[in-house]
Amino acid sequence: MGRYEGNPVWDDVVPIPQEEGEGALAQIAYTDEYVEAMGYLRAVMAAKEHSPRVLDLTEHVISLNAAHYTVWLYRASTILALDIPIDKELEWMNEVALENQKNYQIWTHRQTLIDHIFPTLSSDPAAAQAFADAESAFMAEMFEEDAKNYHVWGHRQYIVRKFNLFDSDAELKSIEALLHEDVRNNSAWSHRFFLVFSNPAYTTAGSRATEHDPKIPDAMIDRELAFAQAAAHEAPQNQSAWEYIRGVLRKGGRELATLEGFAGEFVRIPEGGEEDIRSSHALDFLADAWSEKGELDKADMALRLLGEKYDRIRKNYWDWKRGLLRGAKV
Amino acid sequence: MSTTTLPQPSVPALFTSPPPIQDTLNTQTSLLQSSTIQQCLPYLLNTAIPRTTPVNVHGVPHLTREKHIAFLHKTLSSLPSGYVGYDASRPWMFYWAFAALSVLGEHDAVVGYRERLVATVRPMQHPEGGFGGGAGQMAHLAPTYAVILALAMVGGEEALGLVDRRALWRWLGRLKQADGGFQMAIGGEEDVRGAYCAMVAISLLNLPLDLPRNSPAWSREGDTLLTGLPEWIARCQSFEGGIAERPDSEAHGGYAFCALASLCIMGEPHVILPRYLDIPRLISWLSARQYAPEGGFAGRTNKLVDGCYSHWVGGCWPLVQACLDGPSLYSPGSAPVAPTPSVGSLYSREGLIRYVLCCCQDRSKKGGLRDKPGANSDGYHSCYVLAGLGSAQTKWHFYSLKDLSSNDMSSEPQHAGQLMAGYQWAPEQIVEEGQVFDEVDRVEALDPVFVVPAGVAERTRKWFEVRRF
Repeated sequence: MGRYEGNPVWDDVVPIPQEEGEGALAQIAYTDEYVEAMGYLRAVMAAKEHSPRVLDLTEHVISLNAAHYTVWLYRASTILALDIPIDKELEWMNEVALENQKNYQIWTHRQTLIDHIFPTLSSDPAAAQAFADAESAFMAEMFEEDAKNYHVWGHRQYIVRKFNLFDSDAELKSIEALLHEDVRNNSAWSHRFFLVFSNPAYTTAGSRATEHDPKIPDAMIDRELAFAQAAAHEAPQNQSAWEYIRGVLRKGGRELATLEGFAGEFVRIPEGGEEDIRSSHALDFLADAWSEKGELDKADMALRLLGEKYDRIRKNYWDWKRGLLRGAKV
Repeated sequence: MSTTTLPQPSVPALFTSPPPIQDTLNTQTSLLQSSTIQQCLPYLLNTAIPRTTPVNVHGVPHLTREKHIAFLHKTLSSLPSGYVGYDASRPWMFYWAFAALSVLGEHDAVVGYRERLVATVRPMQHPEGGFGGGAGQMAHLAPTYAVILALAMVGGEEALGLVDRRALWRWLGRLKQADGGFQMAIGGEEDVRGAYCAMVAISLLNLPLDLPRNSPAWSREGDTLLTGLPEWIARCQSFEGGIAERPDSEAHGGYAFCALASLCIMGEPHVILPRYLDIPRLISWLSARQYAPEGGFAGRTNKLVDGCYSHWVGGCWPLVQACLDGPSLYSPGSAPVAPTPSVGSLYSREGLIRYVLCCCQDRSKKGGLRDKPGANSDGYHSCYVLAGLGSAQTKWHFYSLKDLSSNDMSSEPQHAGQLMAGYQWAPEQIVEEGQVFDEVDRVEALDPVFVVPAGVAERTRKWFEVRRF
């Protein structure tokens, strides 16, 4: 006798077994507990039953296999059908998420439920604010385990869009805190870029991440450049900061050459003497800045240094870029 | 090239010493990066204790084929209860094992699984279209992709004929979203994997492109399953130049491959990629994913190398290089000739091959391939590490078919019959003086778009072309 068989609550359900032949590939030797629970799940799904006991059953299955997308989707449709409050569900999900860091399904589930309550929630600004704060607190907890968890960052973007947190001070501050802890956290840099350059208040709708957006105020571009430049000073070989600087310049429609002096702080190439390079990314930046200005010999020299000395694994790439300079000369 | 008599093997300093520039500020990222280098160095230098291994004059060990083959077969046998986490993704196990065995030349063994595969996946097909991870599960694009490719690899009427194409087409219509992308399952997440899995199914099975009326994306006559899709993918390119799971997320190697391969099903690489993506930024980002001394690829900026990106990032290179080169000259039966000038290789094939052979092989009795030293081998990594090795040993040529109408997206194709760009690739083995691997360690490259053995995509497509939909 198992958890369901012989249990009066489940008396009316005839479980549907999973029938597989002897030779089935990658057949898993399920535990009896899993076999029984899945048999009942197949039965309630076949009957399209959405009831409180389905919540118990799906919770049980998820505790045995959190990567079971069908169970999550069915659980979501059951919650929507029953139209029950989701606070308890969120609390329970937090625990499941903390135990299953690489799980995709839980985030979809969470968003399905938030979409469902959002119309009610958004009519009460204080409640909406409290809800968004709780989400942020939970994500902070997730980031303590892994500050680059891709799914959590995806959820964070969803929350920012949903609750329009683009202008939230707390949001920007929390990103700064994460970068303060680890200035090389590229996920945090990416999120910052999203916050600043996808803010519907002052950006062009549909502007791509790699293109100039003339609607962005100059002061915003200056602020972001200053922030990233300070970070590059802290750790000059941190590629995240340099990528961010390039991204901001692009959004602002500014040339790389406008920061030639800054990049030059990390690169000393005296005539005839030994060069002093504190950042290969600064050298790469200068190569592009010089190429932009038509100083092709200097650009070529920078690319040659990268390929021969400072970033040799990418020699073919640096050589290809040198070839493009030669093409530009013609 | 003998591995037994030795002059002292020579490993270039690039692969034995830390990077020339390192910051003094330590953070979690830099500490993890340093410890990963320390973990890899003994393998790159072949001083790993207790298991040093015979190496060739370049200091590179052999591919322990037999162990990997045995490991792969084992992933298809009965699995202990601890594998319950795979219960919703078993089709991936079939795909990974078949693809990896094919890279190792074990084609007969793969075809030998036909009957068992057919019996195993038949109950996984959902009555309303698509496949789930197991019997009675909802249909989902990931297992659907894996099942279709596994069936294609074993081939034959019994396998290919079991797919309910009409139901699959209607289900794809329900997954198609008004913004152009695809959900992974009804009510599931929309991301760039969805785009790739859907495009593979549509093209390989020669499905109609017309949008079924039941689609949430249906707005007007003339809409197709492709409407808005390349534009949606374009929005996934991040400010770094790489491609993210969905618009506004962080650039990531796995999603980059899905995006590029989807576009290369919809059009010719030199036409469609520049139309929808910023190519210089893409190449800069892609190139920065390769690290020294490790030699392998990381999936994102400031993350660690992982063997699986040998495919996800490594697999982007043939598509990008073809985009820069334009079409090669080729007629079936002759050797393909790259146009001049050609960009050649934009990454270090040597670095990747060293990482795979030195760091990613489990040299114990268990066999199989892995993320990095210290990690366990598994089916997923075995597949994508070996796929990357094959790609590193191969140049893929994209060629144009003069007698076919253009794959240009400007006149939107109405039949998959026009989606031919995915079938115009020819492999050429790269044989070089001084290559770091011995010829016995040459493996077969998988198709650069469909990631199945060369020829399988063409054969599958032809099979469906002559059958009534």
